[in-house]
Parts: sequence; structure tokens; C-alpha cells
Amino acid sequence: MQNTNKYYWWLQLGGWGLLVVVLILINVLFRQPIDTHLHLTLWVLVLSGILTTHIFRMVIQRFGWLLLPVEKALPRLAFGIIVVCVLDTFIRISAINWLDPSGINKKLEFSTRFLLVTVENGLCIIPWTLIYYFFHYIETSRKQQLDTLKLGALVKELELKTIKSHINPHFIFNALNSIRALIDENPMRARTAITELSNILRSSMQTEKQETVFLEKELDIVKDYLALEHIRFEDRLNVQYEIAENTLTQPIPPMMLQTLVENAIKHGISKQVSGGTVTIVSTMKDRYHQLVIRNTGRLNKSANDDGFGLISTRNRLQLLFGEQANFNIREINGNMVEAELHIPLT
Amino acid sequence: MIRAVIIDDERLARNELKKLLLEFPDIEVIAEAANANEGIEKIDSLNPDLIFLDIQMPGKTGFDMLAELDKAPDVIFTTAYDDYALKAFEVNALDYLLKPVEPRRLADALHKLHLEESRDRETSTDEEIAVNKSLLHENDQVFVKDGERCWFVKLGDIRLFESVGNYAKIYFGSNKPLILKSLNALEERLDEKVFFRANRKHIVNLRLIERIEPYFNGGLLLELKGGEKIEVSRRQTVKFKEMMSL
Repeated sequence: MQNTNKYYWWLQLGGWGLLVVVLILINVLFRQPIDTHLHLTLWVLVLSGILTTHIFRMVIQRFGWLLLPVEKALPRLAFGIIVVCVLDTFIRISAINWLDPSGINKKLEFSTRFLLVTVENGLCIIPWTLIYYFFHYIETSRKQQLDTLKLGALVKELELKTIKSHINPHFIFNALNSIRALIDENPMRARTAITELSNILRSSMQTEKQETVFLEKELDIVKDYLALEHIRFEDRLNVQYEIAENTLTQPIPPMMLQTLVENAIKHGISKQVSGGTVTIVSTMKDRYHQLVIRNTGRLNKSANDDGFGLISTRNRLQLLFGEQANFNIREINGNMVEAELHIPLT
Repeated sequence: MIRAVIIDDERLARNELKKLLLEFPDIEVIAEAANANEGIEKIDSLNPDLIFLDIQMPGKTGFDMLAELDKAPDVIFTTAYDDYALKAFEVNALDYLLKPVEPRRLADALHKLHLEESRDRETSTDEEIAVNKSLLHENDQVFVKDGERCWFVKLGDIRLFESVGNYAKIYFGSNKPLILKSLNALEERLDEKVFFRANRKHIVNLRLIERIEPYFNGGLLLELKGGEKIEVSRRQTVKFKEMMSL
């Protein structure tokens, strides 16, 4: 704002100054006398010009004409130009009448004089408006381009975040640390742990390719994941599966169950000193397939980080399976958190 | 010999660190703890020189645990991931290791510790070491957590303790965070040769007094190095003059 104001005054004063220089040069060229009469005319022209165009600018800013689309802005500006020209004429004629009555060409009728001065004003004010308008037009479009670029970058970043969040770095490094300790303690378990970890890493990289997977396949990953977390938490982590046989071939979005189980560990079990239980239930209802993930812990409503995850989970479900699909999370009995997925049967 | 305690909620992680520490004969792991409460117990009873502390633990985090200690031993943090929490530290000699721990990084961290250890020894005499253990020494550090920001502060750098309800506001450098300790409890633990109870609300560090002026009713006005002006009550003025004339 400060900067545009500075530009405005430079252009305003520079433009009118240039006009004065040109007019004086013309007078010199045509060997007209440079007298008080000419001086007065020029000063009145410039001062009244600056005054009226400045008022014009205030009106443009007050009513936000620069923000309007071109086809709406142009008629308003044209009307504005006429009003400003007439106003300018009044000011100039009355100023000259008052300051320099002897210099008035007596032969001219008032109406002719009025018309002449107005046309003269038009020659100054039309270019003024065009320059003013296009300066802002270019400025705005440049800013818009910049905003579009910024928005694009933001979208990219968000996409990247969702991909990354599929696997939690805390989990990877903790798992690697546990495996390193297991190499001496229980080499066989260490070997299976490495297989489990690579299964998880592989599936997290493949998710982007498919829209849905069978529950059975997703459960394989979840089982590997929970087996690794069991190495870490030992007897602090209990896992229960209640999976109905006929739900194994139901389609679900890849990594969704996995992410919910990860959250059950991260926000539930890992915060309990004496650990807890994670239960995964999959059942077939009349019209939908119900998936429930239950864990020991409390629901932390203030974590806005999770708010994003919850909303995006619901959106993803509804994009894939329609409005009937749903996702909810709630606290039960003050020591359990239950996340529930409803996927309509097709 | 440096006596160390490992505090981490995972048994395997503790084992792994113990195994790595076998390479360092001057470090003796005297105890382990699986959560913050156990950790506080072990630290209070064994008074270790060094703790290896996991940040993410169930119940309380490593930071919460440190803030509860009267005095903090040297700390090397261990964490599985470059935690944003570590960036909360403002000014101090803190070190942290990323799990799985690289043996070379562990050696660096311990080396740094040795340097500080020998520097500390130069400044403290045998007599000072012999002072009652429950008394906090000028060179002891406390861990202060105020919202998101954390500091390790040497007691000698604190110029003023101010009572604010159940809390005490401590002044050091340009910071004045709150700690959950009453002024009376602090007074009992602080060395009275250095920390003087000026009035009901303030304890000042005698080594960080800039100017002393007489005040109304035969009291005194102390101006501290940070510009704070503290009034000494009439009763304490007598004691203050006694101490200073020795």
C-alpha cells in the first residue's frame, strides 16, 4: 500500500509536470510570449487537474471499481471521466475569471468557451485514467499469478503429506532399533521381523496405484504391523481379531485400516503406562460392512492434527463408496476409543 | 567412573543401549527405568551422574520428568525420530541420539560430557563436594520447562526467585519462566551462603547484586544485575548486614 501510494504521487506529479514542460516548449516554438497570462493558465490547469484526478482516484478506490471485471469497470470509468472533465472545467473557468479577468477572450461565447475547456480537459484526463487503470490491471494480474503459484505449491505439499503419513517414521526407526536388539537375543524373531517390516514398506509404496483392496490383503499388513509393535511393547500390547469370514473379500481403501490401527497405537497404547488392548472387528450387517477398531485410551479432541486425518478419512470413503459410507470415532466408558467404518454393500 | 541410568519404555531399546555402552568402560549402568515415575525414583535414590532419557514415554514425557526433578543430572536424550520437541531448547549444552544409535555418535556425546566433567572439577573443591547432598549447589543445574520452551539452568546463573502463588518465577538472562515450587521449599534446599531470603516474596542471589542502597525504616534496597530492585525487610536487613560484615 505504502509503495503504491509512492508510485501514485510520482506518476501524478511527473505526468502533470511533463505536460507543463511540453506546453511551454510549444509556446516557445510558436514564438508566443511567456507572460503572467500563460503562467496563470498553466498553474490553474495543473493544480485543478491534480485536484480533480485525485478526487477521481478516491471515488474509484471507495467504490472498488478496480476490482470489477473490465466490462463493468469501463462504463463506470467513462462516466467518471465526463463528470471529472466538467468539474475540472468549472474550477478552471471560475479560477481564471477570478484571477485573470483581463486575459479572457471576449469574442467567445460562454458556451463555446465551456466546450473548448472541457475538450482540453478530456485530452488530459482520458490518458490519466487509462494509465491509472492499466497500471493497476497489470499489478493485479501479476499478483494473481503469484497467488496461483502459491496455491499450487500448497496443494502439492498437502498431497505429499498424505502420502508420507501412510507410514510413521517413528514407527520405522523404533522397529529398526528393536530388530537390532533382537539380532543377538532372538535371531529367528529378528529374521521374521525384517520380513514383516519389508511387507509394510512395500505395501505403503504401492497404495497409490489401486483404489480399493480386499480386506484380507489389508489385514495381512495390519497383522505384520501389529506383530512388529508387539516386539516393541511386549506384554503392554494385546491384540484381538474378530473377523467374520464373509467379509474377507470386501473392498476397502488401501492403508485406511492400517492408518487407524497405527493411530490406536500412537494415541492409545503408547500413552498407557500399563499398556492395553487393540481389537479389530469386521462384520457384515444388512446393508453395509462394518469395521471397528477399538483401543485402550482417551480421545484427545484438541489435537487438530487428527481433525485433518478424520475429515480426510471420511471424504476418501465417501468419494469411493458414496454418501452412504461413513466414519466415526468416539470415546466409550472413559477408557476406550472406538473408530467405526461403514461401507455400503454394492 | 560415570554412573548412568537408562530411562526408556522399551526393554529392547534399553538392552541395545546397554550393549553399546559395554564399549565404554568408564560408564557404569547402575539402573534402568521403564517410565518417568520409575525414573524419578531411581534418580532420587541413586543420584546418578548421567541419564539416557527417551522423550516419548507413556504417562509423562522425558521433559515432564526432568521438570519434576530438584536438580537435573547430565542428560543425553534418545529418540527414534528427529523430534520437534528437541528444537524447543533455547540455550544449553544438550545432546541427543537418534535410535538406532550410531556407535560413533554415542562416543562423541560421551566425549563431550567428559570435557565438561573435567571443567567442572577444576572449579569445585573437595570441601564443596563434601557438603550435604540434599543441599543444592551453585553448580547444580535445574531443568525448566515453560510451555514449549525448555532450558537447563545453572543455579548460580539465577539472580532472583519470586513467589507467584504456588509457583516461583525464576530470573536468568532475559528469561523469567515459572516453576512449580514454593519459595519456602526452595529456600530449604538452596545454599544460604549464596541465596538470601530478602523478604516474604523474594530470594536473591548474593553474587549477582549490582548495588545496595539504604531504604525506608532501616531496610535496604538491592539492585540486581538484571536491573530488578528488591526491598530487604527490616528483620532480614539485620541478618544481611551480619552476613556481609563477616
